[in-house]
Amino acid sequence: MVFELKEGIFVLDDLRNVSIKIGKVIEEEEEWTEPLGPTPKPGILELRNWDRKLMERYEPFYGPMQDYCNLCTMGPCDLSMNKKGACGIDLRTSKARLVAIACCIGAAAHTAHARHLLNHIIEEYGEDLPIDLGSDVNLEAPNIRLICGIRPKTIGDLRAALDWAESEIVKVLHSTHIGNEEDYTDYESKAMHVGMADHVGMEVADIAQMVAYNLPKAEPDTPLVDTGFGVVDRTKPVIVVVGHNVMYARPVADYLEEKGLIDDFEIAGLCCTAHDMTRYNAKAKIFGPIYYQLRVIRAGLPDIVISDEQCIRADLLSACKAMGIPLIATSDAACRGLPNRNDDPVDEIIKDILSGKTPGVFLDDGEKLAEVAVKVAQEIFKRKQKKELFLTDEELKEEVEKCTQCMNCVFTCPHNLRIDQGMKAGQEGDFSKLAALEEVCIACGKCEQSCPKDIRIINVIMKTGYQSLVSKTGKTRVGRGPIQDTEIRNVGQPIVFGQIPGVIAAVGCVNYPDVMQDLRDILEEFLRRRYIVVTSGCHAMDIGMLKDEEGQTLYEKYPGNFDAGCLVNTGSCVSNSHIAGAVIKIANIFAMRPLRGNYEEIADYTLNRVGAVGFSWGPYSHKAASIATGFNRLGVPVVVGPHGTKYRRAYIGKPWKTENWWVYDIKSRQKVNIEPAPDVLIAAVETKEEAIVQLARLCIRPNDTTQGRQIKLTHYIELSQKYLGAMPDDWHIYVRSEADLPLRMKDKLLKTLEEEYGWKIDWDKKKIVGGPIRHFDAGFNPTIVESVYEKYTRK
Amino acid sequence: MAASGKVKKEEKYPPPKRFQVADIQASREATAVKPEVVSRMVNKAKNPVLVTGKYLLKEPKLVEVAVKFNEKGIPIIATGGSSKPLIEKGVKPESVVFSLHQITQYMLDPEWKGFNGQPYDVVVYLGFTPYYLSRMLSALKHFSKITTIAIDEFFQPHARFSFTNLTKHKELHYEMLSKVVEGLEERK
Repeated sequence: MVFELKEGIFVLDDLRNVSIKIGKVIEEEEEWTEPLGPTPKPGILELRNWDRKLMERYEPFYGPMQDYCNLCTMGPCDLSMNKKGACGIDLRTSKARLVAIACCIGAAAHTAHARHLLNHIIEEYGEDLPIDLGSDVNLEAPNIRLICGIRPKTIGDLRAALDWAESEIVKVLHSTHIGNEEDYTDYESKAMHVGMADHVGMEVADIAQMVAYNLPKAEPDTPLVDTGFGVVDRTKPVIVVVGHNVMYARPVADYLEEKGLIDDFEIAGLCCTAHDMTRYNAKAKIFGPIYYQLRVIRAGLPDIVISDEQCIRADLLSACKAMGIPLIATSDAACRGLPNRNDDPVDEIIKDILSGKTPGVFLDDGEKLAEVAVKVAQEIFKRKQKKELFLTDEELKEEVEKCTQCMNCVFTCPHNLRIDQGMKAGQEGDFSKLAALEEVCIACGKCEQSCPKDIRIINVIMKTGYQSLVSKTGKTRVGRGPIQDTEIRNVGQPIVFGQIPGVIAAVGCVNYPDVMQDLRDILEEFLRRRYIVVTSGCHAMDIGMLKDEEGQTLYEKYPGNFDAGCLVNTGSCVSNSHIAGAVIKIANIFAMRPLRGNYEEIADYTLNRVGAVGFSWGPYSHKAASIATGFNRLGVPVVVGPHGTKYRRAYIGKPWKTENWWVYDIKSRQKVNIEPAPDVLIAAVETKEEAIVQLARLCIRPNDTTQGRQIKLTHYIELSQKYLGAMPDDWHIYVRSEADLPLRMKDKLLKTLEEEYGWKIDWDKKKIVGGPIRHFDAGFNPTIVESVYEKYTRK
Repeated sequence: MAASGKVKKEEKYPPPKRFQVADIQASREATAVKPEVVSRMVNKAKNPVLVTGKYLLKEPKLVEVAVKFNEKGIPIIATGGSSKPLIEKGVKPESVVFSLHQITQYMLDPEWKGFNGQPYDVVVYLGFTPYYLSRMLSALKHFSKITTIAIDEFFQPHARFSFTNLTKHKELHYEMLSKVVEGLEERK
């Protein structure tokens, strides 16, 4: 007799008062040959030693934004000069606590997003929906495998990973309550812990939506979609989606397809929802990132706006209202003060919106939302009068005339833009200075808040800079999701040995220090030099707006494979997990290191071998802080733009402290002093010139072969000469033997090593015989983790 | 020195308005100083250094000022690519490749001997993005004893000493920079 077990409550007929409850049927585990590592589903303590090891090298740096703490009622406390507050916490620790809080917020954002999606998808498709990421991805969910020790096969299996992430985030959040930690390194360890959990949350979210919504699965040649301010055909109704969770707005595309209306409407997105809409339906378009919200709304382009969650302006409703654009809020994370109309009939909701009885509604019932959005957009479009965008010429003149050059705007602008000078020139009939501001303005609107004359400064800048604004319209390659196993197989060795000089992962927000073009310039420098460039989120859409003289964006110039000289767009914020995933897969697929619950070994592997560097040119969100900190724990250094200093904390090594730079060499069974590679885990740079040179340096790893080091040093030196006008000060410390030297400069560099650094050179053989920190050894096998050393020396 | 060098109202310097009105302060805010005081502090320092940043790539006048500092024997740590125009003018910076973030981290360590073998005691900042410099000055204010002097056009509240806010008075700023240079004594 065979019993088929199912979940539920069962009454046995012949036995009175006996019932059996089966909670979860665990099917026989298909053989997973990987041994279980030491830290599946780690708690706060399990990886604390790893974090401390990192912090011994990369000491936390704190640049406080404010000298007070006012988190509790015993304060406010003056913590300046590292004083202690009423609770006993000092400035350094209080700042570390703030960083941990920021990372909790960021990790919670992705994880709650994942929970929303997962619950919804399980409800709609059932928990048995298999995780199939295509024939080229057998190693799916590398973050979950590595961190949780789980190999999810169905959507339902993702719950266990998400349960773990949620639990850890709550535990770390608890630790930030008054009266817990007193050492800043413990808060830093916790920040890294939630940063790591964030990558699990992101992975759950993206896998769930890829599987359920059939988003592209690791395909390198996804479609190119229109991107930028000028993307929409204004002869059609325009539906604008804004935020980060496509789950809510997705039914709108379905509805339009079902009704055969998809070509009669425009769907365009702002922020990562835009990415995910294009992944879902490539007829959707991308307006741009967060700082395009006011640009698009003030221009009156949308006929309806649908908001979901994260990075949406907190004055979205009033901005829409001022332009007569209805708003539908869909996420319980951002209800926007709107009435919940889920229980009302569609016609009634539409009537109330169109009559102006309500400026918008909260509606998360997908079917209703789709019908309401489409019908309202249709009607608003019909009613819309043709108007000049932003301002008429007359209005522009009136606005500019009001300016008294009080400069309040200048000292509230995050970039101290000289709006006063632009206005003055405008009063004299020259609008070019105002127009030029469009390139750097992030349209945050703080200037308008400070203006005593209530000048609509953003409108003035956008009106005068319209040509520049509309010219930034191009193509983005739709986010492809994960990296294929075969791609990793092809590039794993050249990355680890250094022949592919590095992987530059450009992710994050748009709080750039200068013109957007800088981002393209930076990335193209590395693409030309055959680094692998990976991107996601706002960076990925901004480079889709910028064309070169031939009218091509980077996506049109460089293929979408994960290979040298290629540009990979993984997708939205949550697709960042695939970048961490690619790094993890290198250790597994190329080096056969086991992943299952084996975090420390893989992070150690990455730090010593995988020349991948994160790059966030305009970081602003908590999510960016959390993602970066998660990368740092995984051994991936990150370079941020100057606004990144406002996260208040960095991890910066001190190359001159030679005692900090060592590894165990598994081959020679010795502790070996090494070059400081990488010498930073996270730090900010000020200019694009500096960013380029720092990124090149941070790709150097102790494990580079001589050929790899030679290639990396060539780029580092060339870029330093090109952008800084000189050799980098520290180039010599990365030289282990003459074979590391760039070929074209070899003789000259040998001479410099002898004359300036006192190295001994055998000129007959052109060999270095004395001077380097260490000599190159082909079998060098570095680790900084004792247990890893023991594991591999035991064999 | 600070008291006598402090900018007084009657001296008609622009007010020390913060570069960001929302920048929150505590007990110690920079003393707004005149150019002569900057020169005096640099002259009296044991091991002063000028750190330069981004705006040297945009304002040739700042390059001229830095060159003159260097001609008086004050070493330069060039960050953000500011090394390029300086090298073109014959300056040999102490370092070119480290970011201000890294340099600040090094300076926070009392064991660091600088690039020339002894710790810097007076550090002058020229040509920086104000919010970026602000975080560095904050770090040095709270966690070091180094005397920091900001001579950019923005008043930097976290510095120990700073020019007032000269954003509206570019010519005055340049004049003040020239006065600083004029007051510098040749270092041996």
